[in-house]
Amino acid sequence: MKRNDSIAGNIDWGLFIVFLVMLLMGIANVYSAAYNPKFPSLFDFSQKYGKQIMWVAFSSFLGLLVFLIDASIYRKFAIPIYLFCLSLLVVVLFMPSVNGARAWLGIGSLGIQPAEFAKIGTAIALASFISSINVRQQTVNTVVIANIILLVPMVLILLQPDAGTFVVFTGFLFVMYREGITYDPIILNLVNLLPGVRFKKTWVGSHFIPILFVVIFLSIITLLMSNNIITFSFLPGVEIPGFFGVIGTLFTIGLSSYLILRFFVSKRDRPRITMIVVIGFVLCSLISSIVNFGFQGLRKHQKDRIELFLGLREDPDGEDYNRNRAMAAVGSGGFFGKGYNNASVASVESNHVPESETDFIFCPLAEEWGFLGSFTIMGLFMFMLFRIIQIAERQKSTFNRVYAYSVAMILFYHYAVNIGMNIGFAPVIGIPLPFFSYGGSSMMSFSVMIYILLKLDSQRGDVLG
Amino acid sequence: MNTDARRYVIIIFFLLVGSIYTIRLFYMQVIDESWTLRAQEIAEKRKQITPPRGVVFDRRGKKIVANKTYFNLMMVEENIKNFDTVAFAKLIGWTPHKVKSRFWEIRKGEGMYYNKHTGKTTTNYQKIRAYPFVKEMSMEEMSAIAPYLQNFPGFYEEITSMRSYPYANAANILGYLSEVNGDEIKEDRFYRPGENIGRAGLERFYEKELRGIKGIHYIVTSALNNAIEPYADGKYDTIARQGPPLKLGVDINLQAYGEKIMKKKRGCIVAIEPSTGEILALISAPTFDPNLFVGKRSIAKNYPRLINDPSKPLYPRPLSAEYPPGSTFKLIQGLVALQEGVIHPETGFPCTKSMVGCHNHPQASNVAEAVQYSCNPYFYYTVRKIIQQGRRKKQTADAEIGLEKWAKYMHSFGFGEKLETDITGVRPGLIPDAKYYDKWYGHHNWSFSTIRSISIGQGEVKATPLQLANLACIVANRGWYYTPHFVKSIGRKGPLPEYRKKHYTMVDRRHFDPIVEGMRMVVNEKGGTGGAARLKNDIVCGKTGTVQNPQGKDHSVFIAFAPMNKPKIAIAVFIENAGFGGTWAAPIANLMMEKYLYKKISDKAKEEKMMEANLD
Repeated sequence: MKRNDSIAGNIDWGLFIVFLVMLLMGIANVYSAAYNPKFPSLFDFSQKYGKQIMWVAFSSFLGLLVFLIDASIYRKFAIPIYLFCLSLLVVVLFMPSVNGARAWLGIGSLGIQPAEFAKIGTAIALASFISSINVRQQTVNTVVIANIILLVPMVLILLQPDAGTFVVFTGFLFVMYREGITYDPIILNLVNLLPGVRFKKTWVGSHFIPILFVVIFLSIITLLMSNNIITFSFLPGVEIPGFFGVIGTLFTIGLSSYLILRFFVSKRDRPRITMIVVIGFVLCSLISSIVNFGFQGLRKHQKDRIELFLGLREDPDGEDYNRNRAMAAVGSGGFFGKGYNNASVASVESNHVPESETDFIFCPLAEEWGFLGSFTIMGLFMFMLFRIIQIAERQKSTFNRVYAYSVAMILFYHYAVNIGMNIGFAPVIGIPLPFFSYGGSSMMSFSVMIYILLKLDSQRGDVLG
Repeated sequence: MNTDARRYVIIIFFLLVGSIYTIRLFYMQVIDESWTLRAQEIAEKRKQITPPRGVVFDRRGKKIVANKTYFNLMMVEENIKNFDTVAFAKLIGWTPHKVKSRFWEIRKGEGMYYNKHTGKTTTNYQKIRAYPFVKEMSMEEMSAIAPYLQNFPGFYEEITSMRSYPYANAANILGYLSEVNGDEIKEDRFYRPGENIGRAGLERFYEKELRGIKGIHYIVTSALNNAIEPYADGKYDTIARQGPPLKLGVDINLQAYGEKIMKKKRGCIVAIEPSTGEILALISAPTFDPNLFVGKRSIAKNYPRLINDPSKPLYPRPLSAEYPPGSTFKLIQGLVALQEGVIHPETGFPCTKSMVGCHNHPQASNVAEAVQYSCNPYFYYTVRKIIQQGRRKKQTADAEIGLEKWAKYMHSFGFGEKLETDITGVRPGLIPDAKYYDKWYGHHNWSFSTIRSISIGQGEVKATPLQLANLACIVANRGWYYTPHFVKSIGRKGPLPEYRKKHYTMVDRRHFDPIVEGMRMVVNEKGGTGGAARLKNDIVCGKTGTVQNPQGKDHSVFIAFAPMNKPKIAIAVFIENAGFGGTWAAPIANLMMEKYLYKKISDKAKEEKMMEANLD
């Protein structure tokens, strides 16, 4: 009893409550998205909403187990857990394919997706490895081993194939970046091969990952928006070319992040942060300009290829069907939405948006609750992510911190890609929205991920190292 | 290496994505309307419900334009299974080839639409949508094939409403419906392709009233295009409302009788009730059965035949044909001369026959007798006095002033300008003015002697039969008229406001008496030219006319009203190529008036003679 009390006392209620709120909203939303008038009961287990409740209940049971088991077990059994996940990923490749992918282990709808659980396994393995080395004296070897831990499940997942989860795994690169596992040793070795060059460290190598991602992210956004003309219904006649929209957005973000950081950063760091924000803004604008004008300068057939790849070509009833329907559902929500269970594009009966209870769960939500609803979801996720980072940063143990960052990055990726494909900012790759999408495997893996984090956090005083 | 600060990189990354997404969501959901429109396009269907058109009654409450139920044979390609082309062709009475080409036509033709976003014409044909395979089948046709339709899954019947005309008369008044064209759809968003619009006559003039108000149902549709539920529980739905009924001043029995008489003849009859301006009958001969123009199939079959007919049955002669008015015009000349004071009721002129020809008749010693004998020289002198009043020394300048004044009088009688009758196709006729002759002869290069033929209603003067009937009305009313019109009431409302306004001519009431007396003598006195129009119980006032026709035999004209002191009917009869007005036009006018006033004809022999006469 005393032990349980200490858990309850140490638990991070902020994260736990946000998590519970999201679960409840998720169930309500699945109920609307998969509503079958023949089975009106929320607890009808033949229906998806009934099943979702079952999954939540089962996940809570797993959560209880997690809370009963001492947190040190993850550290001790990190390698067996990791290998077990890998073996499941191997076994699943020999299963019959469903919808063109060998992702399911088990029979029909009762199967599980090992890829979902491999995220937890990889997070634990990575945490275990990084906590065992001294990042201040890293060599090529440490970088390579860390990357191998990441790449093996990624390759296995790509073999299924499951592009969505593959993309999510790239989130671990940010975790490694945070922990100081950088490509600096490799880049140093390469650069120092040049005669006469002797660097001790390179700026590029240590910040390689975020730079790479910012460049990719900004390029995609710029390309998507450069041909648009932004108009406002309340300001007729005002037309902003898409490129200036991008620059304007960057400027707004730069300014607001500077103002936010001003109040959270100590005086000592302020000049440095200011410099980073200014340089970041200038560099981002530069990248946008290069992409924008570089794209305009391309030949037509090259342009065509890029536009087709990005889905900029209007083909609303053909290949772009899903995204176009999803965007119509989201965009038609208005400010207050159409009302609960009143979606016309994303409702089950109309079926204009396929998979509206799983991968496109954001559609019925945004259509029925409007901007208020989608803003709430954005807010809840942002709160959850910042809370997890806060939790991560207060850990004394490297293992715990790496694990917490892994959870943050995995959730962030799911959230960013899933919502991104509903608003035309990400290609349509099927990954679930955590706690909202219908599905046993994702529900269990995300819940267990959070429960383990809560457990680790609650015992943060126990472990040193 | 301190990596703690790197958390900010991740935090900024989160913030960047979070704020860009929020801005994007705000833009998509709140500011940009286009996604809402796209969603409506995808998921909401406006189902328009077209009400039946308003019906039309005659002045005695007889329904003359009704709606009849027809059927479309609809087709949904997705549901068609094991289609037996030959058997189906046999069932609907087509050749198998025609069935196949109809399929092709629907896929290529009816499914085509212009996409304004891409600027391309693309086919919107969808296998899951319903298209009419055979349009507008009658109840009989449909009931013959309906029992066998179950052998052809994918085909079913759908009810539509079309016009029907219980009396096969008044085609030129009523007009007809046909499919809207692209410009009309663009101009008025009321119409959708395939719908009907009033194409001529009253159907066209009263289109906005007759078409009614469309009902709109908003429905949420599924990806398979099935209707799921009313959108927002029918909050935005509107109910279809049928157009109000029109009640006409037309007496359909009189109209039918007139059309019967005018068979085998060319010309027209216009009858108006003088006290109200309501048109009682408007006959254009030859005419056609309005039922020939019901439905696309009938129009396609009959329209080319009628439009190419050399006797021009589609041409609304009473409204559009501009003839010289002939001697009937002498009435208005006499009235103007009296008003101008250039003659007195007792003024006489010798029948000299020097400037204009005349027939042999006693000398006219006053205006009434001049009208009675229709003396050409008398009106030659009279009009010369109107035109040449001696206000200028120069003859031509004097004529200019006189003619301008004369033209103004004519306009006040509704000549030379379009009568605002509630129908399409009304022509203005022609009253030449100074400008007109200046163009022909040059300024101050003409005088009365140049234009003298206008004095007897020949030459440049032109009038439509409707205007002549209106002249009869004016004389019957002794100086005023309501614009002739068809519609007495629209639903519960009376006629349009413009038909409640009395128009006064520039001639005073007192000058009408000698002219009316002359008209009485034309019909009722020995030596009058219109004795054939005489009625037993009522006094008919009339005036004959014979219009010189350079292309052939003269046209026979007669205008009249009766009874003399309480006129109930004013009439103009115009028979093409029939010679002297008293021979044909007067007896036909007589039959019409008798039919209208007493509902029966006393002189059966005359009736038969008129009906049998072939003047075509």
